[in-house]
Amino acid sequence: MSELVEQLTMCIERGKINAAAPYPADLRGREGADELTARALRESVGPDAVLAACNEGMRRIGERFGRNEVFVPELLMAAKAMKAVMAHLRPFFQSGSVKAKGSFILGTVAGDLHDIGKNLVAMVVEGNGWEVVDLGVDCKPQKFVDAVKAHPGCTVGLSALLTTTMANMEKIVKEIKEQFPEVRVIVGGAPLSADAAAKMGADGYGADPQGAVAFLNSTT
Amino acid sequence: MTDKQWHTLLSVIRREPVTPLPVGFIIDCPWLPNWFGASILDYFTNDEIWLNANLKAVREFPDVMFLPGFWSEFGMCTEPSAFGARATFPGNEFPHAHRVIRSIDDIEELPAPNPATDGLLPFVLNRLKLARPRIEEAGHTIRFAVARGPLNIASYLMGSTEFLTALMMESDKAESLLKKITSFLKDWIALQRETFPTIDGILLLDDIIGFLGEPEFRGFGLPYFQELFEKDVAVRFLHNDAPCRVSAPLLPEAGVNLFNMGFDVSLRDLQELTGRKVALVGNIPPRDVLAAGSPADVAQAAKDLVASLDDKTGVLFSCGGGVPPHVSSENLNSFVTAIRS
Repeated sequence: MSELVEQLTMCIERGKINAAAPYPADLRGREGADELTARALRESVGPDAVLAACNEGMRRIGERFGRNEVFVPELLMAAKAMKAVMAHLRPFFQSGSVKAKGSFILGTVAGDLHDIGKNLVAMVVEGNGWEVVDLGVDCKPQKFVDAVKAHPGCTVGLSALLTTTMANMEKIVKEIKEQFPEVRVIVGGAPLSADAAAKMGADGYGADPQGAVAFLNSTT
Repeated sequence: MTDKQWHTLLSVIRREPVTPLPVGFIIDCPWLPNWFGASILDYFTNDEIWLNANLKAVREFPDVMFLPGFWSEFGMCTEPSAFGARATFPGNEFPHAHRVIRSIDDIEELPAPNPATDGLLPFVLNRLKLARPRIEEAGHTIRFAVARGPLNIASYLMGSTEFLTALMMESDKAESLLKKITSFLKDWIALQRETFPTIDGILLLDDIIGFLGEPEFRGFGLPYFQELFEKDVAVRFLHNDAPCRVSAPLLPEAGVNLFNMGFDVSLRDLQELTGRKVALVGNIPPRDVLAAGSPADVAQAAKDLVASLDDKTGVLFSCGGGVPPHVSSENLNSFVTAIRS
């Protein structure tokens, strides 16, 4: 059993989605996160244990990312493997046998079509037991406001890659804070810093997906 | 760019001492239109406004080398438009291109654009052709062919997550896309050079480089930049203000001899990382200092930057990346004064 869980952790860390996936080359043809999760659930490994195995895999690759040993493509692959696991776990969340920690509304701000950071954060946060409401890219303030109304008690995440769209990010933070002062907002993206985040009125700054998870978990 | 500025730039690239220390900035639609008092849409759609904004900048800051100088562009839509990408132009915001590749199999069907006729490229070129007499009357010369880089264009055509995932999962198809884009870019650069024989520099802008590890950059970046940075031009200028620690040591191999980076790596570190084989354009923080700081903050950052370098040759003092929105004339002047003094 523990070997199965360890294999699953390794598949998440290495970004091995399923047996058909050609990446990574040295695991070609071997079972991936998809098959291992199905097997684990069949063999009565509980969904909480599966989720914990995945989080361990994401933690490992997150640390390697922080040490510049792996880069965004590898992180994306890990997140994709995680997504394959989440497809199996979704029914457990829906039935309430695994409880979501809360709702996280996430989008790339108006004028910015870059989705790498947002997608990574979405997948890692979801894998950490949060319900993620992904608003997509190029999101205007009203889209965030509507989503906050629909998900009371949520936390909001704003992503941007372009320096040029940071002004829009600030507008959205202000709009949310004006209408929902109690809602916590975290921002992230290449052009940002903790200082810039604080100046625009955000409650938190996530330098990477793990930072976003740490922020969210601190709010529960 | 004036002849004098061009020769100063060549001196910087040759790592010759330049006195006073040289200052240069990349300027384009994020800063120039609003600084001039026009909306971004007016700047894009009215050639007179575009020209006057550029003329005002070069006249108001005669000691600054603006790169590439009189940049005819439509933001991120320029090259993707030639591939048929829908372009969105909000009134006073930055335009963006929508993806055209929905599935990896669409790559094969992607047309090879003709830069002389397709998308916004004829507008780019014709604007510059019409403005050329007045640009030259003002003492400036068109020196650069400019384009977004192949990885950047691929990520616009396909979506950045999908493109980066394709590099890992379907590398042969990703390579096919990069080859198609590179072939188009070679035509586009050649057309610019043919239209303006004064061009002796190539500027490529590509931030996606910053997301790749070394094996991916070697496989999916380096060969294409080597093809694009033709050796017969004097200035081979790359902009990447995303992370650059991995790619910096490979820039000389890519053919780059001038590099504008972000501000996460110091110029001193970059001198080491590039083996002092690439001249550097940078790198005070563009938004937190150049845009949001006071003139005194900017002056201090500029002085700190100069003081951080034992060897000041091979550096064009600037911000990390292009000039962002809302940078005041006072702050630009403060930077220039601090560097030159």
